[in-house]
Order: sequence, then structure tokens, then C-alpha cells
Amino acid sequence: MADFLSNGVSALLAFQRAIDTTSHNIANVGTDGYSRQRAELVTRPPDIKGNGYVGSGVQVATTRRMYDDLLAQQVRISTSSFNSLDAYATQMDRINNLFGNTTTGLSVSMQKFSNALQDVANSPASLSARQVLLSEAQGLAERLKSYDSQLDGYGTQIESQITSETSEISTLAQGIADLNQKIALAGAHGQPPNDLLDQRDRLLDQLSGHIDVSTVRQDDGQLNVFVGTGQPLVMGGEAAKVLTIQDRYDATRQNIALQTGSGSPVEITANVTGGTLGGLLDFRTQILDPTRNALGRISIALASAVNTQHRAGIDLAGNLGGDLFNIGGVEVLKSSANTGSGALTVTRSDVSALTEADYRLEKTATGWSLIREDTGAAITMTGAGTSANPFIADGLSIVVSGTAATGDRFEIRPTRTGASGISVAITDPNRIAAAAAIRADATAANTGTGVISAGTVVDATNPALRNAVTIEFLTANTYSINGGPALAYSPGAPITANGWSVEITGAPAAGDTFTVSDNVGGTGDNRNALALANALGKGLLDGSTTSVNDAASRLVGRVGVAARQAQASRDAQSVVKQESIDSRESVSGVNLDEEAANLIKYQQAYQAAAQMIRVASDLFDSLLAATRR
Amino acid sequence: MRVSTAGIHQSALAGIMERNAELVKLQNQIATGKRIRTPADDPTGAVRATELDRLLSESSQYARNSDVATNRLSLEEQTLGDVTSLLQRVRDLTVQANNATVDATGRQSIATEIKARLDELMSLANHKDANGEYLFAGFKTLTQPFGNAGPSVQYFGDQGTRSVQVGPSQTVVDGHSGFEVFMDVPQGNGTFYTRAGAPNTGTGIIDTGSVTNPTAWVSDTYTITFTSATTYEVRNAANTLVSSGAYTSGGSITFNGAQVTITGAPAANDTFQVGPSGSEDMFTTLNKLVATLNRPGVPASDSAQFSTEMGATLTQLDSALDHVSSVRSSVGARLSVLQSTADGRADNDLELKQSLSQLRDLDYADAVTKLNVQLVGLQAAQSSYAQLSQLSLFNFL
Repeated sequence: MADFLSNGVSALLAFQRAIDTTSHNIANVGTDGYSRQRAELVTRPPDIKGNGYVGSGVQVATTRRMYDDLLAQQVRISTSSFNSLDAYATQMDRINNLFGNTTTGLSVSMQKFSNALQDVANSPASLSARQVLLSEAQGLAERLKSYDSQLDGYGTQIESQITSETSEISTLAQGIADLNQKIALAGAHGQPPNDLLDQRDRLLDQLSGHIDVSTVRQDDGQLNVFVGTGQPLVMGGEAAKVLTIQDRYDATRQNIALQTGSGSPVEITANVTGGTLGGLLDFRTQILDPTRNALGRISIALASAVNTQHRAGIDLAGNLGGDLFNIGGVEVLKSSANTGSGALTVTRSDVSALTEADYRLEKTATGWSLIREDTGAAITMTGAGTSANPFIADGLSIVVSGTAATGDRFEIRPTRTGASGISVAITDPNRIAAAAAIRADATAANTGTGVISAGTVVDATNPALRNAVTIEFLTANTYSINGGPALAYSPGAPITANGWSVEITGAPAAGDTFTVSDNVGGTGDNRNALALANALGKGLLDGSTTSVNDAASRLVGRVGVAARQAQASRDAQSVVKQESIDSRESVSGVNLDEEAANLIKYQQAYQAAAQMIRVASDLFDSLLAATRR
Repeated sequence: MRVSTAGIHQSALAGIMERNAELVKLQNQIATGKRIRTPADDPTGAVRATELDRLLSESSQYARNSDVATNRLSLEEQTLGDVTSLLQRVRDLTVQANNATVDATGRQSIATEIKARLDELMSLANHKDANGEYLFAGFKTLTQPFGNAGPSVQYFGDQGTRSVQVGPSQTVVDGHSGFEVFMDVPQGNGTFYTRAGAPNTGTGIIDTGSVTNPTAWVSDTYTITFTSATTYEVRNAANTLVSSGAYTSGGSITFNGAQVTITGAPAANDTFQVGPSGSEDMFTTLNKLVATLNRPGVPASDSAQFSTEMGATLTQLDSALDHVSSVRSSVGARLSVLQSTADGRADNDLELKQSLSQLRDLDYADAVTKLNVQLVGLQAAQSSYAQLSQLSLFNFL
């Protein structure tokens, strides 16, 4: 009878605990990272009687946290991956919007510049057309600069985001380490500290949103957390710090380092993957730098194409045209770890061979080695690095001065500052060289039918370019230049001298003369303006296969493809992440209907157990009554 | 599968949010009428659209260029028309002056008019366009191309001609240099000129001649000398005898593929020259004409000289008229090229605009249908969520 009562009491106590647990679940239905709990009911050890084992009621073995480690890890992996892609795509969207505007886009500015050149060609002596051209040239330079400064601004924001990411990672790591200690203490009682574990898991989830993590559980319930390729972030109750350190070459750039205890920080940038931090780092190297370089390369090609042609012409005052655009130089960054006194002077020797990559030049024991940073490939250089015989590679000319120590490194960015350094070199519209430097005339007394072409400038640097030259026909089939030796005449074949080229067609008679002379006063000549207008459409980059126009539309296409890919990857990963969360929630999440059912179940069991007490009381009463006299 | 309560709400909400995002995108497309708003919407389409935009912008620039060239060529055509009627008038006057009934006074008054025409020709040659630039100065558009240098007129411009781009690889020259129009008029019949020797005493008159056999023609300066009143010989510049024969008035003298006719009675030792054509500018022609008309012309030999000169002048005026007419026809040809490229450009623009529209513009019917589908979807998601959220076992406790 005593067993009977104690069974009832044990049931009352057990179901009370079960209802407690249910109420805890209901109370935490809105708590992030909460795993539902369940009171694990087990039978109490039975009493042995002569006639067999008699059950002795129920007890709560433990309050179990419904949790699947594998599913939780999947959530972390997918969160880390999603956040990485999300950060990447968010940044990518900004660039996409930057380049996407069709009314203010790069190719619109270029077209306006070309059209202004055509207008100058229509009316080369018109100062207003020339003024418009200067304005459009300025507009184009400003457009390129503004793209670059926007990109630069994104870069600065990313640097500060990286810094705040690292401090958040450090804070989370410290939180996990603290919880590790508490969990180890609490777990010493033999029962799992469910809510502490939930809290730690929640911090881990958050951490995985910032950086990819992997975990290893210790026997005492503490969790070791690793980042990157196994760099320890949390070891039991000790957390390392994630810091930013200045890049060795570029002081404006932050790298990621891990500092354990009071040790010196170890750089782990290359090992960081996943999470918002990984996404930002990927964006920085995969999109931001190459896009700025591509923009810079377009600017350099534009300036080079225009300047080369502009130098071949003469302005309204009859002077040879100078540069129409100024362009920035090659950016050379010296490693802060360099011990030698070596310095580099790098210039662009061949625009058509320029790539969009950055390079690293390192002094080795045997000489210098040039590494292309995006591919990691070694680039073969010709030359000796002296000013008389510079290193030549990928359109660059590199001169080394001073004494570099072995292991000294330099970063070379051939195109990075191209867009920020572009500006219009002339302010006086008269200085626009719309006319060609030379003109060709037939002499009035000529009796033959020979016709001379207007002539083109082949080499504007030839000092004798604008000297007057007479081409005299000695016979119908031979001519001499300035009284020089007789040359065979073939109609339409180019005749070159002093950096120009002309063609004579028809049948000149003996004694006919043609002159090539300085085009001074040629205010109505538009040949150079026409050539300038077509310069942007001519193959120049990539070994003279890509025009400036092509490069500009290619850049837009490339940004579009990258943005689309980033969006698609993010959307796909978002589904994966949601599925992994759903899987985890299917185990750990609270369902109110289920709790309601449990509540009813436990309530009825409790009521039944209470009835049992009453029955025991009744029985006891009837026994008392039976024995009362 | 178990579903957590938070999960039910979360997924319902996510569904509604997704519909919202889709709706905003569609609404944006409908509001702007553009299918592609950023390159990411359709990267290849965006690049192609940029390219088409560029081609269209280029095309409108070519149209502008074409207008400029048309204006300038029209102005030139108009000026050349004036030059033609001027030369025609001078020719009429020359024919009139060549009539034996006109005496020295009459010739002088004609000379006065021709002198006035010469000034007019000068002003036509120095014509300026709307920008104040000289039409016939070659590249030196700010330099007055024609001016008097001593007795003759000199050309101060150059022979440059400006090309205007009217298509991706098509240019049209928008004018002619003054050299080409006024200076480079072929002398004589275009192959050779004829001239009577100044001290001739006979009354022989040489015509302008013609080339009968172009392959036999040797470009050289020939002298026809009358060894007597009835015999002549033709020698070249090296004084080699080329041909000789008996002279009859009006009979043709043929040598090296050339044929000239001398009429009248040349005296012995009279000479006539036949030389290769260079060019003679219109001003010189007119100046010479004025000088010829102003000569008193009493002796018979002078009359012969006069006739030869008048004949040569008429030929030269015809040559000038031909020359101007050929320049005018080249202007006409250029104008017609401009017209036909404009037509081609219009067709091409239409095609480009259609491609661009297909590429970038929104298909409204499609977009509005999608919008309706999304709206229905959103309403369904919202109402199902509202119903679902009311369900709870706790309501029955």
C-alpha cells in the first residue's frame, strides 16, 4: 500500500516536471536558438518481492535538449556560405548599379566626346565647336574619375567593414570561451546545462555568419573553435583575438591576423573563407581591384590613343599638338619589410600589352622575379633592369635603382591609378590639333595628270616632319625627293620621307613637281580631328585587338555577368540555408500544438496520479473505519 | 516532418516577402518601360544595348555631319552657278567682240565690261561661308585665297580638301579648293595649246587643234615655221624635224597624232607654237582677253594675231566652262551620295531602334500578366497565412 501511494507521488512529481518543461518550451517559442526540451520519464527501479518484481513508479531521468549536432553544423556551414555570398552580392549590386545607368554610362561619355570631335571636324576653325570638345573631354575624364572615386569609396567602406567584422568575431569568440567555462562547471553535476548549450550554439551560429568555423567537442563539454584552415580561435576557456593589420605594401588596406594570448599576431588573410568577412575579402580581390584596374586600363588606352593622334596634328596657331589628356603613372608600392635601399621606376612602354593584373617583383638570390598576382604565374622579363636596358614585361618598363636585399619585394599596379589620374591637359580651345601637320600640293604648271594625296603623318616626332619637300618627276617613271637620287614611280605606292607618307596617282609628266610642306595656316583642315574621332574605335588593347569602346562595353558586360552570378548564387544558397534551418527546427523547434497536446497529456496523467492519492486516502480511510471500534 | 511554430510563421512570411520583391521588380519594369535596368538583368543584352545605343548616337552624328556637308556643297554649287553664268556672259561678249564689225571703241567698251566681270569673278572666288570662312581657300580657310599680285592674280590658299565622315567608313569631301576650281583649268584643248608667234607678219590664223591619234602624241613643244608662204615645217623642242609639207589655207597640218589648221596667208618665217597643256587660271584668261581687246589692232598681221588670240580665248573659256561644269557635276554627285547615305542611314536607324526596343523595352502584355499572377499569389499567401495563424490547439483548451 505504501508502494501504491509512493507510485502516485512519484507520478505527481514527474508530471509536474514534465508540465514545467512544457511551459518552458511554450515560454521560449519566440527565443532565437532555443532548442525544445523534454523531460525524460523512466520507471523507477522495481521492488523485488517473493512473487516477482513490483513496479515502483516513475521518475524524471533528465531534461533532454532536442538537438542534432550534425544538423546544427549544417546550419552553420550554410549560414557561413550564405553570408559570404550575400556580402559579395550586396557589394556587387552597388557596382552593377554604378555601371548600369545608360544615360550617364561610360560609353555615353565616350560617344559624346567622339561626336564633339566630329563637330570639330565639320568646322575646324569654329572656336565654339572646339570649346564643346574641351568640355566633353573634361566630362569624359570626370566620368572616369568619378567611377574610380566611387569604387575607391566602396573600398574604404569595405576596409572599415572588415575592421568591425574582426572585432565582432573577437567578441563572439570571447563569449564562446566564457560559456565554455560555465558549461564545464555546470556539466560537472552530471546533468547537461541545456540553456547554456543553447546560448553557446547561438553564439556559434552568429560567429559562422561572420566567418567559416569548424568545431571539436572536448570530453568536458567545452567546444574548440577553429577558423580558416585550422587556426584556433577558441580553445576551451581561452579565446584568441582576430585583428586587422596594415598591408605590407598598401597602408590603406587591412589584412586579417590572429593573436593568441599575448603572442604576436599571425596573418591569416589568405586562409579566411566564408561568412561576411570572407565575402568582403573575396569581393575586394575578385571584383573591386580588377574593376578599378580595368577602368584604369580603359583610361590609359583612351589617353594614349587620343594623345598619339593629337601629337600628330597642329593647332590653330600652327604648333604641333601636345597631349590632350594627362594620365597618372604606374603605382609602385614598396614592402614595409624591405631591408635594402632598392627602388623602382616603372613606366608603361606598350599600352597594347598592358594587362589588368597587379604584379609583385621580388629580389631573389639570383636576380629578380616578376609574379602576376591574379594568376600567380611567373612572368618572363627581358632586359637587365638598368635605365639603358630596363626590364620589359607585359607592357611595362622597370628600372631598378639602389641596392635591394634578397627577399625585398615591390608591388606594381600598372593600371590602378589610370582612371583617377586622368585629366584634360589643355584649356585653350585653340590648342586642339584638328589639322594634320603637313599638306601636299601639286604645282600649277604641271602638265601631267598626276594627283597627290593629302598625306598622313606616320611619325610625329620626326624633327624634319614639317620641312618643305619637293617631289620632282625626272621622267614619267622616276622621281626624286629634294633633288635626291632617282626613284622608280609606281602609281598609288606610298612615298615616305621625314615622318610622313603621301601617294601620287595618275601619269605625271617629266618636270612635274609636287610639294609637301608645313600645313601652317591650315585652319580648315580637319584630317587630324577625323582621325581622333575614329581613334576610340580602333584596336589598341590586348595586342591591338580591343578598342577603347570595346573595352568599355566589355567592362559593363563583365560587371553585369558577375552581379547576375552573385545574385543567383546568393539566391541558391538562401534556399540551402533555409532548408538546413528547417531541418534543424524540425528537431529542435517548438511547435505550440505539440506542446498543447503534451500539456493535455501531462495534465491528465497528473490528474490521474492525484486520483491515485485520493484512492490511497480512501483505502486508508476505509481501513481505519474497519478497524475503528 | 515536424514543423516548428516559428518555422510556420517564418516560411509564410518568407513567401510573402518573395512575392513582394517580385512585385516591386515588375512594378519598376512597368513604370520605366525597360526590361533591362542594370547590366545584371541581362548582361549580354545590356552590352548589346550599349553597342546599339552607341551606333545610334554615331548615326545621328553622321546625320549632322551630312547636313554640314550638304550645306557647304549647296553653297559651293550656288557660287559655281554664278561663276558659270559669269563665264557664259564673258564668252558671249568675246564672240561679240570677235565680230569684224566691232571697231576698236566697241572692243574697248566690251573690255570694260569684262574687266568688271573679272572683279566679280574675284569676289566669287573669295566667297565666304556662314562661319566667315573662305569657301575656296583649301585648308587655309581664314586666309583670303585670291589676290592681285602685280598684273596677275595669285592663289594664296592650298590644295587641301576637307572630308566629312557620313558613315562608319564613308567620307564625303565637302568642297573644292580654289586651285582646283579657278586655277587648274586645262590650257588649250586639254592636250596642247596653240599660239601664233608674236612677230608674225602674215595673216595666218591657227585654230586650237585636236588630237587625232592619242597614242602617237608626244608631249613636247613644237614650232611650225613657214619656210615660205606655201611650205611649212614642224620641229620639236630639240629642233628635230618632225614633219613638213605644203601649205594651203584651211588645210590641216598633222604631226605626231596632232592636227592643227592654219587659215589665211602666213608670211615666210612666221611661226606658230604647239605645246603641251599646262593649266591656265580663269583670271589670266580674262586678263589676257582684256589686253587683247584693248589693242588698237591696225595692221593685218595684228588682226591675224587678234583672231588667233580670240580663238584661243574662246577655247580657253570653253575649257573653263567645261571645267566648272565638271566641278559642279562632282558637287552634284557628292550631294547625291549624301542623299543616298541619308536614306540608307534612316533604314539602318529604324532597324537599330527596333533591335534596341526588342532588347531593352518591356513586353507590357507579358509584364502585366506576370504582375497579375504575382498579385493573385500574394493575396493567396496573405489570406492563407491569416487563416493558418488562427489555428492553434490552445484555442480548444
